[in-house]
Amino acid sequence: MSELKKCGNCLLPETYETLVIDEGGKGCNMCRTSEFKKTNIDWDKRKLMLDNVIEKYRGKYDYDCIIPFSGGKDSTFTLYYLMKEYKIKPLVVRFNHGFMRSHHEQNTTTVLKKLGADFIDFTPNWKIVKKLMWEAFSRKTDFCWHCHTGIYSYPLQVALRYNVPLILWGEPLAEMSAYYTYEDNVIEWEDEEKFNMIRNLGISADDMWGMINKPEDPVEKRDLYPYTYPKLSDLKKMDYYSVCLGSFIPWDYKANTKIIMEELGWSGDELEGVPDSINKEFAKIECWMQGTRDYIKYLKRGYSRVTQLTNFEIRNDRMARAEAQEWIDNFEGNRPESLDVFLEYMGITEEEFNNTIKKFIVPPFEPDFDNIKKGKKAHDMDEWYRENNRK
Amino acid sequence: MMVGVLDYGMGNLSSVTNALEYLGVENCIIHNTGDFNIISHLIIPGVGSFAKAMENLNDRGFVDAITSFNSKGLPILGICLGMQLLAEKGTEPYECAGLGLIKGSVEIFPENSVRVPHVGWNGIKLVNDHSILEDVKQTADFYFVHSYQFHVDSNSSIISTTDYGFEFPSIVMNDRQNVVGIQFHPEKSQKQGLQILTNFSKTNA
Amino acid sequence: MVKGRQFGNYRDTGDPVSAARIYNAQYVDELAFIDIDATNESRATNKEIILKVSKECFMPLTIGGGINSVDAIRELLLVGADKVIINTAAYTDENLIRESSEMFGKQCIIIGIDVKLEENQYVLYKNSGRIRCDISLKDHLKKMESIGAGEFFINNISQDGMMDGYDIDLINLVNNNTRLPVIACGGAGNFKHLADAYTQTVVSGLAMASIFHFGDNNPIRARAYLKNNKVPIKEI
Repeated sequence: MSELKKCGNCLLPETYETLVIDEGGKGCNMCRTSEFKKTNIDWDKRKLMLDNVIEKYRGKYDYDCIIPFSGGKDSTFTLYYLMKEYKIKPLVVRFNHGFMRSHHEQNTTTVLKKLGADFIDFTPNWKIVKKLMWEAFSRKTDFCWHCHTGIYSYPLQVALRYNVPLILWGEPLAEMSAYYTYEDNVIEWEDEEKFNMIRNLGISADDMWGMINKPEDPVEKRDLYPYTYPKLSDLKKMDYYSVCLGSFIPWDYKANTKIIMEELGWSGDELEGVPDSINKEFAKIECWMQGTRDYIKYLKRGYSRVTQLTNFEIRNDRMARAEAQEWIDNFEGNRPESLDVFLEYMGITEEEFNNTIKKFIVPPFEPDFDNIKKGKKAHDMDEWYRENNRK
Repeated sequence: MMVGVLDYGMGNLSSVTNALEYLGVENCIIHNTGDFNIISHLIIPGVGSFAKAMENLNDRGFVDAITSFNSKGLPILGICLGMQLLAEKGTEPYECAGLGLIKGSVEIFPENSVRVPHVGWNGIKLVNDHSILEDVKQTADFYFVHSYQFHVDSNSSIISTTDYGFEFPSIVMNDRQNVVGIQFHPEKSQKQGLQILTNFSKTNA
Repeated sequence: MVKGRQFGNYRDTGDPVSAARIYNAQYVDELAFIDIDATNESRATNKEIILKVSKECFMPLTIGGGINSVDAIRELLLVGADKVIINTAAYTDENLIRESSEMFGKQCIIIGIDVKLEENQYVLYKNSGRIRCDISLKDHLKKMESIGAGEFFINNISQDGMMDGYDIDLINLVNNNTRLPVIACGGAGNFKHLADAYTQTVVSGLAMASIFHFGDNNPIRARAYLKNNKVPIKEI
């Protein structure tokens, strides 16, 4: 395996999307944005801005705002915070990708019953989803196109339908990548620009319809509506304001997770392929395909969830680099059992899967397909929906 | 508020009007001197030769109209060739008089030093402040496409310079600061360029 | 909108207006749309689409395909194109290049050249790679430069869509035979290919398509990769 350049400070590798390592290698743009967030943003001023935003929209519509919700730690915290701090009446909207784990569903039910809010949960047509997964996987190796586009379009469609212009999201992208940075010192929007920049992987719903609609297996255009970003002119007419809570209060995963566990009884779960002790904030525990997603990332880029989680710890001064490296060496890159579920859904063999991945490997990384260890099976794997489409 | 985009038969106006539409700025195309009465801001775009441009401007009576517009201190923005026309004289393809709103002349790049035209993205370095650059990320690059450069008489006319093997003024202004000339294309320079157009539409409002 | 391999086997890659919106959000430096059937179908490029595209595009827009008259160029510039690529017509109509360069400025006029490596020689093709041209690459470059071309857009037919890397030798050959800016196209499959082309040649620009349509890549990631490899790239 070829040597990946890494940031000397936080260990993120050069294949981490949008990462730019500083001259000299001792820092990177992710380190700098973290630092800026801590020292250069006037969070008091930002909080005042949020106070004004809430008041501007309060009571004027059927709901004070839409809160897009997955039930994971970030959206749960967002819902909790806004309801507790401002006593608003939200419409909670969930785009359900179809892979929700049972523990996660329990969390969602508990949280919503404890907080008390109207909840819309939308699950798209699985037959269409399978086609979308296959098309996205073969063109991008990212089979979650339906999820990325649905999560970021559907709540806006609901906002238009119910005429609720304020949409409050949670975590800003600036936490995870440099597509957006804290250093710009602006409120981060969830808007069409961001949707086109990264959410839809460069494929609009219209494009995708053209790709999956085949004469022998036709698909209607309206089957793609759940993944279609609403017209910008309609949103502007409504005077929409679709922004991230994390631009108004400093995002702190550790503190946020602790709060929702204590106040709402939200509880964590195991994440496939990741030792519990480094995922104490329980990232990514909602979806049973996450292990496979992380594995694909590893095969292409040479790093994955273990690196990302330990990286947060390093950047927040909670873990030493040597310890992080040890976790990475021992746990990164194992083949998850959930891959079998994915292969069955798609009706392909592992060889076909690997051959597709091989076309997308991000240089300078070179995965070693012959020396991959098997990862531990997730405890709830037997509960997951199985569908074997292999001929 | 009405931003007029001058049509004198040189270069595509639609890039500029598309950008203004996108930004929600009220705009119209100026076809004749009478249209000058309804505008509060003037944009002079342009692609092509200096001499031909001046010929067209003269034919349509625009030279006097622009001079008169300027005498009222109203905001004028020249883009690319439009910026160069603001000079006292040009040399493409032969020497001829310009609009004379900013002191200086337009000359070809130094012989054999660089690939001509200068086409592509390049940065700017601030020399003198101006509201046209408010909220604009000055580390960003902008889109240039030109073979001639504006030689100013005085550094006080320069808002920014750009390095293309040699330094040349990329944004210039007159003494009163109501006239600004931009060598690059803000309407083709994405977010930061669009911010410049927004700023222009807000000057003197 | 389609993307092919070696000028064949075209796959649907979506709607051009959609693509323009997306690439604009991703801060690409320039967008080039080439109507690959226009010459062979003896018609002009579809202006309606260009008009729609230009409303989404706040970066330079280059249009090519079937351009064979000064009027055609004028019309394209009026609907929003900044530059045009002339390929087939340039072999037989030198006046077109001369006149349009003088009328619209040479920075508007890009000469597109499709090239195939045959028995160690670079052979030029026109009509979307269907008709072989007699003139040599060097002679064509020289002639076009002398009559008013502003840039060259060089496409290697054998590399096109193969995602195996650019033809470095070809790019160097072209750069050594012209003083005009050169954009190279054909072969980009991953970011290393881009870095290689930028560091091993003095090419002014690189054009690519498959890498974004058939790779999990986007221009912003490309930018970060190139910065990490010390290639000077536009700042946003």
